[in-house]
Amino acid sequence: MTDWTCRQVILDLLGEYEDGTMAAPERADFERHIEMCPPCVRFLTSYRATGKMLKSLKPEEIPSDLAQSVLAFVRARARKP
Amino acid sequence: MKPDGVAAQAEPSDLDLVRGIKSGDEGAFEQMVQRYHARVYSLSYGVLRNAEDAEEATQDSFLTLYRKIGTFDESKKFFSWFYRVALNQAYSRARRRKPGTAVSIDDFLPKFASDGHIASPELTDWTTSVEDGVIARELAQKAGDFIADLPPAYRDVIWMYDVEEMATADIAETLEISIPALKSRLHRARLYVRQRLSEVSRGPAQAEAR
Repeated sequence: MTDWTCRQVILDLLGEYEDGTMAAPERADFERHIEMCPPCVRFLTSYRATGKMLKSLKPEEIPSDLAQSVLAFVRARARKP
Repeated sequence: MKPDGVAAQAEPSDLDLVRGIKSGDEGAFEQMVQRYHARVYSLSYGVLRNAEDAEEATQDSFLTLYRKIGTFDESKKFFSWFYRVALNQAYSRARRRKPGTAVSIDDFLPKFASDGHIASPELTDWTTSVEDGVIARELAQKAGDFIADLPPAYRDVIWMYDVEEMATADIAETLEISIPALKSRLHRARLYVRQRLSEVSRGPAQAEAR
């Protein structure tokens, strides 16, 4: 059993924990720290909210005539140097 | 002659289309546009967050494809190459629109006391404001700007993984980096974006001391 510091939890271990590749014993130590540490809980919450928010940067729709506009654009310029 | 009916009806591979374009087959280029215009637009829109700019960046990307396809190494995965072309087009356009210099990621990582505890615990949970759609969109716009400020090594990884939701192996291949390097950069980039979002959410008076 290891007593991690917040620095270790956040800088060294959090990425591995979130992608699910952390070994079971380390995972248990990590979760034990989180349970005992409200600042790390808030940090983890905002870390996850950040990742979730980034997915909203995708466009909601693609212009319906985009393929045609791309083809027209390229054909008009393809033979220019 | 095609070996069987299944093969005759199969969609051409990316490499088939690449070879067609190289030999001047306009139909192959059209098929490539049909296959990838939506993905290129999507990544361009994410970088530029403006429909007109995203459309122009998409056009530029396919023009570059058309002109530079001769430089593509056929031993590599086509879309990895083209994705990088498109990403560079989008960021180049973004820089022209808003010139700036890349930030130092170390300036925006969380800070810790000498005993390893978080130096300035957040007193309020800014993530609750994300439940409000308007605020969430504003924060997402800022997050996009913060990502654009990152050095390319970090910017591209977080963009591909968290925004585009590409597979880890595809990102590693596109950027020609190892999986551990990818994960390390991704985590640092997320810490950076989180930190900057925390600071703008609380306002300068409450920002953590850096």
